[in-house]
Amino acid sequence: MKTRVTNKIIMLSVNILFVTLTPALAFAMDSGACLDCHGDAGVVGDKLVIEALGFDSTAHAELGCHSCHASITADHPDDGLPPSRAGCAECHDPVSREYAASLHAENAGCSDCHNPHRALGPTAVSGHDMNRQCMACHDRPDMVALHGEWLPQADLHISMLPCITCHSSSAEYVISLYLIKRQGGQYPGGLELASHAELSAIAGGRPIEQLIDRNADNYVSLAELRMFNLDPENKQLRLQGMITPEGVSHDFRSRDDRWDCSFCHASGPAARQVSFLSLVEPDGSFKRVAVEQGAVLDALYGTPDFYMVGSTRSTALNYVGLVILAGGLVMPIGHGTLRILTRKNRRHEEK
Amino acid sequence: MSKIKIYLQPTPVRIWHWLNALGIITLCITAVQIRFPEHVHLFASYKSAILLHNVAGLVVTFSFSLWFVYYAVISRSLFKVYLPSKDDLEHGLARQAKFYLLTYFLGWKNPHHATPDNKFNPMQKSAYLAIMFILVPLVSLTGLLLTNVSPMRDLVLLVGGLKILIALHFLLACCLCAFLFTHVYLATLGKTPLEHIKPMWTGWEEEEETEESPRHAA
Ligand code: HEC
Ligand code: HEC
Ligand code: HEC
Ligand code: HEC
Ligand code: HEC
Ligand code: HEC
Ligand code: HEC
Repeated sequence: MKTRVTNKIIMLSVNILFVTLTPALAFAMDSGACLDCHGDAGVVGDKLVIEALGFDSTAHAELGCHSCHASITADHPDDGLPPSRAGCAECHDPVSREYAASLHAENAGCSDCHNPHRALGPTAVSGHDMNRQCMACHDRPDMVALHGEWLPQADLHISMLPCITCHSSSAEYVISLYLIKRQGGQYPGGLELASHAELSAIAGGRPIEQLIDRNADNYVSLAELRMFNLDPENKQLRLQGMITPEGVSHDFRSRDDRWDCSFCHASGPAARQVSFLSLVEPDGSFKRVAVEQGAVLDALYGTPDFYMVGSTRSTALNYVGLVILAGGLVMPIGHGTLRILTRKNRRHEEK
Repeated sequence: MSKIKIYLQPTPVRIWHWLNALGIITLCITAVQIRFPEHVHLFASYKSAILLHNVAGLVVTFSFSLWFVYYAVISRSLFKVYLPSKDDLEHGLARQAKFYLLTYFLGWKNPHHATPDNKFNPMQKSAYLAIMFILVPLVSLTGLLLTNVSPMRDLVLLVGGLKILIALHFLLACCLCAFLFTHVYLATLGKTPLEHIKPMWTGWEEEEETEESPRHAA
């Protein structure tokens, strides 16, 4: 946490440096003016278009286009000069150094995984989208086959875990719940992340969080989860759970503790208390709503589609099971006792 | 009275029975580690417990199919052996319950004699009917789904979700385990504790010849 704060301070001072040291900026257009052209494929063509909606929600939007394209002149594009592009390392020194030292650095550059105009933190990106970043190079079927050599149900794991949950490290991991929807009545499969437009349509104009957070208190209680799951109006929607990291180390490598299943499956219910509802925004980024502690451990209706064997078991069900087992012992113990007490009767008969 | 031997349990039935026994016990033991991994460490790793559980599950499912095919197709006696008759339901059940709960303690004889054609007493028939036609198939099916969640996601959703599926699997398995305790105990209720268990191993049962029920020795 401390390092994140210092990172921010460093970055802010970098920004101030940029602002004070770049006289060109005085003439530069603001981001809005750039986007007048670059937000419209009709003006600049498909390759140079930047999605204004997506850019505006990133931390980079606050910097403005000119922070990274500093050489731009007031005559752009008529001057024909190629604008400069800031390297990520100029502002993200710690991450860049960590990544440069990793084995993966020679395989991909920052821009292979990140779009600088769409740079979001790990909690603002869905696990699905994170995997799309990796799967640009690591083909899904190949990955299922590769991990299937040691991981049972690799297909399921690759679908339910961002690659970086196993190939990066984080101080903390939480359960993120995503709304998925069956696309076009497709069977089998066809369950995919629902878009904001789809959810808005289902919510009938209400803010989409109210599909689940009915009392709009920005907090999802177990009762609200249950209502969501039982409401027939939500039949086409389901909640999918993933284990996601709160931060991302950039050393992308294989970690020994992810190799033995206990990292996720054997931690016990105590470690699986924290979960968030991850809701898609109109721009495709995600915001989170806190979910009641331990809600995913509810026996049946907290999150009917999320179950991680060994760590999200319900205590209530354990007791029901125990009662059933005890029922099975009634005969041996009760009958057995009487049997011993009355053994004389049977000896008599045998004579 | 002379003793005669009857061939009560044909070889396929015995193989099936002990395969099942081994499989189900393995399933129960591995299941405890799979559900409570932070408390139970019987197997070296979580993965080995899961793999063993999956293999044992397949063995029991396979042996269940073996049983079904043997009785339904080869010996064609599935319903005769397992379906309680009208008489069983009207009188047999009560008679047998009365024996277990009362007259057994008084030293009376078991009202039911096992023969190759009528192996089970009415209570056994009803219990096995519930177990072999409901419990075992359901536990096997839910188990098969749990080992193939991704490819069978739609079936999982049909059940109500992964969690409902697991809850079903867990509770049904507890029922099966509870039955196991009773089953093993009742098996020791012969004249000697091993009287009913031996034929399941050797196939042959020794019986005293009685006048009303002359059986040809096999
Ligand atoms: C009047 C419309 C217009 C405005 C306003 C504008 N651009 Fe451009 N921009 C263009 C066009 C057209 C090109 C393509 C020029 C070419 O190919 O020579 C271009 C090219 C670029 C390129 C180079 C792309 C490449 O890879 O070749 C960058 C970077 C760029 N613009 C950034 C900006 C920034 C930052 C701003 C705001 C400060 C901005 N533009 C404002 C129209 C505009
Ligand atoms: C955080 C730094 C940063 C900011 C802020 C930024 N850009 Fe860029 N931009 C880059 C980098 C780096 C590239 C080169 C990407 C690559 O090589 O793939 C780039 C490339 C481009 C291109 C070329 C087309 C493309 O997508 O590769 C255009 C056009 C562009 N930027 C316009 C803009 C506009 C307009 C803004 C403001 C709305 C903006 N940029 C803000 C870093 C930035
Ligand atoms: C001009 C400085 C600057 C440059 C150049 C720059 N960034 Fe950033 N970036 C920032 C600042 C400031 C933030 C917001 C700080 C924060 O929240 O961590 C940020 C945030 C981010 C985030 C989101 C982090 C979060 O938790 O929200 C990502 C991802 C990111 N940058 C990636 C890149 C990549 C990739 C490049 C290179 C293409 C790059 N940045 C270039 C200044 C820069
Ligand atoms: C192999 C893919 C990959 C490469 C290469 C990569 N990143 Fe990332 N990075 C990710 C993923 C995945 C995340 C999680 C958020 C996301 O998906 O955007 C992330 C997150 C980040 C964050 C936010 C971290 C946090 O904990 O809040 C920053 C900042 C960042 N990257 C910067 C960089 C920089 C700078 C580079 C180049 C030195 C780089 N990344 C290279 C995959 C990559
Ligand atoms: C631009 C293409 C590209 C992207 C995007 C990419 N990788 Fe890679 N990655 C490679 C290449 C090439 C290799 C080396 C060949 C191999 O092992 O497949 C590699 C190797 C790896 C390795 C093995 C490293 C080792 O220990 O030797 C891991 C783990 C890995 N990638 C994880 C990821 C993850 C996680 C992501 C997404 C966050 C990702 N990669 C995104 C290209 C990429
Ligand atoms: C459950 C945790 C887990 C998940 C999820 C996961 N991996 Fe892995 N992955 C591992 C482990 C552990 C290894 C090391 C296996 C080995 O050494 O044979 C590995 C190996 C690899 C390798 C080969 C590394 C090498 O040394 O050759 C690549 C590439 C890779 N993973 C990429 C990915 C990508 C891309 C994803 C997401 C689609 C992903 N992994 C998801 C745990 C995971
Ligand atoms: C990084 C976390 C992680 C690791 C490591 C991991 N799993 Fe999983 N596992 C999951 C998730 C997430 C699911 C899917 C849960 C869902 O779909 O609701 C899952 C599902 C499963 C399932 C299907 C039943 C169920 O709980 O949904 C089995 C079986 C399983 N894992 C076994 C293993 C084994 C064996 C290993 C070690 C070789 C392992 N897992 C390693 C996270 C992990």
